[in-house]
Amino acid sequence: MIWHIAKRELYDNLNSLRFALATVLLLGLMLTNAVVHLREHPTRLQKYHDGVAEYQNRLKSYAAESLYKLAQKGPGDLYKKPSGLHFCAAGGETFLPADAEGGYGRWGLGGEPPLESFWILWYPSVTPNLANVRPDVTKVDWGFIIGYVLSLIALLFTFDSISRERERGTLRLMLANSIPRHTVLIGKFLGALISVSIPFTLAVLINLLVISTSSHVHLGAEVWGRLGIILLITLLYTCLFLVLGLLVSARVQRSAVSLVILLLAWVTLVVFMPNTLAAIAGGSSSSEAALGFSERSDQIHDELWREYASHRYNSGKSWPQKLEAAGEYVTKDAAQQERLHEERLKQRISQVNRARTLARISPVTIFQHLLESFAGTGFERHLQFLENVKSYAQQFRTFTVDTDNADAESLHIFGVREGMSQKPVSPEAIPKFEDTLSLSKDFNTAAIDLLLLMLFVIVLLSGAYLAFVRVEV
Amino acid sequence: MLTTLIRRELLDNLMTFRFAAAVFIMLLLVVANTAVLIKDYERRLASYNTAVKKNRKNLEETKTYSAVSLSIDRPPNPLSIFNVGLDKRLGNSLGVYYFYVPSLWNAGKHGSNNPLLNIFSSIDIVFIFEVVLSLLALVFAYDAVAGERERGTLRLVLTHPVRRGHILIAKYMSAMICLLIPLLMSFLLVLILLTTSNSVSLSTNDFLRSGGVVFTSLVYLSLFYLIGMLISTATHRTSTALILSMFVWGFLVLVYPNMILTAVETAPQGDTETSAYNQIKQIWEEFERERKQFLANDSVPGEDWDFGLGGKGYSFWGDEDDASSLHYFNYYTGFHYETLSKESEPQVPHAQDYHRFLGLQLVKTADRVWRVRNPALETIYVRPANMEWMLLKFSPVGLYDAATEAWTGTDLNGLQDFFTAVQRYQQAVVGYFLDKKIFESRLWFVADKDTIDWDILPQFYFQRSGIGINAKRALPALFLLLTINVVLFIGTFLIFVRREV
Repeated sequence: MIWHIAKRELYDNLNSLRFALATVLLLGLMLTNAVVHLREHPTRLQKYHDGVAEYQNRLKSYAAESLYKLAQKGPGDLYKKPSGLHFCAAGGETFLPADAEGGYGRWGLGGEPPLESFWILWYPSVTPNLANVRPDVTKVDWGFIIGYVLSLIALLFTFDSISRERERGTLRLMLANSIPRHTVLIGKFLGALISVSIPFTLAVLINLLVISTSSHVHLGAEVWGRLGIILLITLLYTCLFLVLGLLVSARVQRSAVSLVILLLAWVTLVVFMPNTLAAIAGGSSSSEAALGFSERSDQIHDELWREYASHRYNSGKSWPQKLEAAGEYVTKDAAQQERLHEERLKQRISQVNRARTLARISPVTIFQHLLESFAGTGFERHLQFLENVKSYAQQFRTFTVDTDNADAESLHIFGVREGMSQKPVSPEAIPKFEDTLSLSKDFNTAAIDLLLLMLFVIVLLSGAYLAFVRVEV
Repeated sequence: MLTTLIRRELLDNLMTFRFAAAVFIMLLLVVANTAVLIKDYERRLASYNTAVKKNRKNLEETKTYSAVSLSIDRPPNPLSIFNVGLDKRLGNSLGVYYFYVPSLWNAGKHGSNNPLLNIFSSIDIVFIFEVVLSLLALVFAYDAVAGERERGTLRLVLTHPVRRGHILIAKYMSAMICLLIPLLMSFLLVLILLTTSNSVSLSTNDFLRSGGVVFTSLVYLSLFYLIGMLISTATHRTSTALILSMFVWGFLVLVYPNMILTAVETAPQGDTETSAYNQIKQIWEEFERERKQFLANDSVPGEDWDFGLGGKGYSFWGDEDDASSLHYFNYYTGFHYETLSKESEPQVPHAQDYHRFLGLQLVKTADRVWRVRNPALETIYVRPANMEWMLLKFSPVGLYDAATEAWTGTDLNGLQDFFTAVQRYQQAVVGYFLDKKIFESRLWFVADKDTIDWDILPQFYFQRSGIGINAKRALPALFLLLTINVVLFIGTFLIFVRREV
């Protein structure tokens, strides 16, 4: 019986104007998405490869000189690997830095012994918009197409599915037969789901077809797996809006009123809530320290310098003692400055995380977070990249210390040229930075979002069921 | 008869659930977002004030002219609460040097905001109007004619001696009155919230400008109502009209602006950039040759630019080479002495001589560079942006956005006003330096005899453009909106008159 109702619903929809319009709209958007991805992705990849090549050349040239040089200059810029699924979710990547700098020279000092600051991890901040006088734009990615357009289409397919029948009186007729009410509801739900899925599937297939035929973009097995997960999430998200439509349609007497309620709900949930909530959460906590960042950095620097200056200009000290003091100064300086940078980064990240958490009240935000974690873009991905960078920095430092220890001629005073190994290092031995994307980690970050989305659907579904069972026809 | 019709329609519209719900949601959104926007504005203003104070302090601590670095900050625009435009995005701190003409593309940012927060987009009042009011207008319009036709009341009304045009006008007028209510209510709410906040101070002109925003909003609303009415007259059934209007809305508001800007590529031209960059480099190389020649020809042997001066002080040098923003200069050298040793005293006239030459030469070079740089920046940045703004104007949303931005002064023109003012200020400072012969004075690099009174230096002054200019800039978009209105109304009328009931 369910199938019977679903089939009838489907036939009803297939001939309708909305079906045709939805198909055209989705096809147009998905085609645009594919074409733009094919145009932009090769440049993105090229940029990444250039960056990596530069990084390797730097490492090689330093390694050829001496271990000291390598340990002092650091590994250089570390680039974030662009995701092949960028077309699914752009994830605000234009506002996120594409690299982290591991080799930020800050100062040099002549005299005896001559000193140069050691490298620290430095996180550049992106303000690409300073020179951008163009209009604002939301990139047409899957997140936009599904999150905004498909959700609206889902509402347009269900807003009248029950109220229209009630208006025409056919609902009474149908319920006069021995059909349980939940069968009617599920039948209608399935019918709407299939009718929305048809144009969407068509559009997605064409999108993927266009993208995979290009020789520049390769979608591997793992990527296809991710795409499958993304499509499942899309299904869940579409269900959410279909059920919402059914719920309102069941409660309200007239379809026009039902649509108005749904549209207002949609506008609030999808268009306004994500941004307003993020603005509220992000703006509420501008807990910048009383001293500005650069002032604090200077302060630390001055304190250290005062401590060290007494050693440096004390003629009573022997040369090895001086060297040791200098080495300690340089390493301490690097460690403290790096901690300062990291603190600031942590503060910023926690601010963004707060805003993201609050924005989760809106289903579209949940959906976009999910999409970003599985597409390997966006903020979560950036955090993963920063983790990778940090563990690599650790590895790199351990490597330099170990190599220094292995050299018998070295004085093992880390931080000064005279105290460290002067031998060149074989470039193959240096640990290489490899930015990786792991699916299991993605699952971890996505679990909460996924559960929240399911919770939304279940609550709305039971709401729709209750509403339909108890309503008078 | 017309008033009767209008009254009937008005009551029909006002007493509906959709009206109440829409007004409620609208006001809720407006209040929540205005509170956020005001807080944001206050933060920007505070950061501006700190920056100004810091610059003043820096200036007062400077002892010689050569060591001075003037920095001008851009205050936030209080009307950016209505339409933020480019106000928040573009740089708001600009250095003024005698050897470089400042422009929008050199501006940096003051304050220490979290740049990661940029991943969230911001909402302004105009955006709320753009989305909610247009939706509301369509919801009012979709059954205006089709509904009456379905119910048969249209036939009934037309049996009376009523002109068909009058029916349309009555419907239009009453709906506009209904739509005006939420618009004015939310606008008043915004103004009340703005006046209660003590950091936002609005002038009379600002009130007039926001009046312009309201007028533009009304025209925008009317446009969407007329789209809905056109659809309603052209279709037979309300359900068809409803679906069609929703799709039209989705396309115009949601899809078109984003799709067109994603799809069309207006990349800056690389060859203009490189050719301009090379030209600028050449000009600086020429300058460097002349400088060397001067040093070789003067009465002091050797080519040292510090003339063997000694004392308590420091020398500084700098160059900048950023091809991407055509930012290039290779000569920014000078020295600053608190006190000068006795033996270098005879060298001072030579150094003064050199600086007279150098100052004049740098000013000239800066001017020449600017003449190459300005048109290049125009082609690289402004032209593609204008192209994109133009593409957006094919949708009423784009027109509305452009017009309101022009009213609030947050469009490119409004912001360029500020940067032009900074350029004028730079000219004034250079003129002052030349007039007072500051380049060749002793105070240029030695601070031991005199102190500088920084208050005599020309002061920077900027006021946002007058309301007349705002209106002039808003006019093209506004005029287009009005024209589309008229065309739509005529179209609706023609269809309605020739249609069988």
